[in-house]
Amino acid sequence: METILEILGVIFISIGAAFLLLGSIGILRMPDVYSRLQAGTKASTLGTLGMLLGIGFFEPAWFLKIFIIMIFVILSNPISSHSIARGSCRSGIKPKLKETVNAYRDAMESCEESIKKDDK
Amino acid sequence: MKRIITILLLGVTGYFVADAVFSIPFGVDKLNIAKEYLLNSPEELKVANTVTAVVVNFRGFDTLGEVTVLFLAATGLGSILFRRRKYHTGLNPQREAPQASRIVQVGGKLLFPLILLLGAYVFIHGHLTPGGGFQGGVIIATGYLLLLVSFRKFAVKHSSLTWVEAVAGVTFAGIGLTGLVFGKDFLENFLPTGVLNSLLSGGIVGIIYVAVGFKVASELTGILDTMLSIKVEVDEENEEN
Repeated sequence: METILEILGVIFISIGAAFLLLGSIGILRMPDVYSRLQAGTKASTLGTLGMLLGIGFFEPAWFLKIFIIMIFVILSNPISSHSIARGSCRSGIKPKLKETVNAYRDAMESCEESIKKDDK
Repeated sequence: MKRIITILLLGVTGYFVADAVFSIPFGVDKLNIAKEYLLNSPEELKVANTVTAVVVNFRGFDTLGEVTVLFLAATGLGSILFRRRKYHTGLNPQREAPQASRIVQVGGKLLFPLILLLGAYVFIHGHLTPGGGFQGGVIIATGYLLLLVSFRKFAVKHSSLTWVEAVAGVTFAGIGLTGLVFGKDFLENFLPTGVLNSLLSGGIVGIIYVAVGFKVASELTGILDTMLSIKVEVDEENEEN
């Protein structure tokens, strides 16, 4: 039983470490703020969750505390990156990717609209 | 000339530093006070965290002074910055800033109790785990900062903050004075010490750290609110937002 838990723990910690590594590479390699944020947030959230889950499998007595920490990470990480992205949009940072990418253009337009709505 | 003086001074300093270093015999344990603390705090005081034992019990008087310094800093900052405010309303005076988005508001509401819980945990378990009153108080203050940033209409009541702060400070000093009644020194332990590594151990250390936690939290929240409410220019037209 213990060995199964340890194997599960090792698997989850490796997944978490891999995602954290990919996220940090993404932060280094991505061209602008928004894509860096995306790399940082998504990868680091998943990486942290994997790490925590792995530690939880290693030490089952800590699982409740680790669950609370996981909820905290799930809540706080996306919200903080959302407000960073919103702040950089409001201070006028444009994405470096091509203007022809429709999703990006739509997102920037909606951001500008929200700025106008807030300024009223 | 200047260089010669500098070299001379450096030489004199270096000589005395080298002298002091070489006069300590190599490999001899000189840390008598540290050894005393390390041995005494788990055995006599039943405090698992030696740092807490030193800060709150052995050097409790010093910590009382630190708390007083913090109180003075908060008061001074408040009195300096308060003059910058042209008026004080019940609203959060930061309302000139753009409203935070709804995601941040909902997240702040959800996270606020968790942050309070963490802060309370840190200062309640100050004698068992790393952390303590100061750290827990700062964590609670960050929770209030989150609400202050998220909601334009959120404002803390300075009168109730002052009450919390005063009660906490009086508790700290009062515990020290109660020790005198029991025939001990000021801020010496007079309660039963309990079992090592349990929550109700350490005598007065835990109570003092709870008081310090409340005090630091209320002071820092007051400082944050005061700093956020600086208004350099008052725009009369936008007052109704």
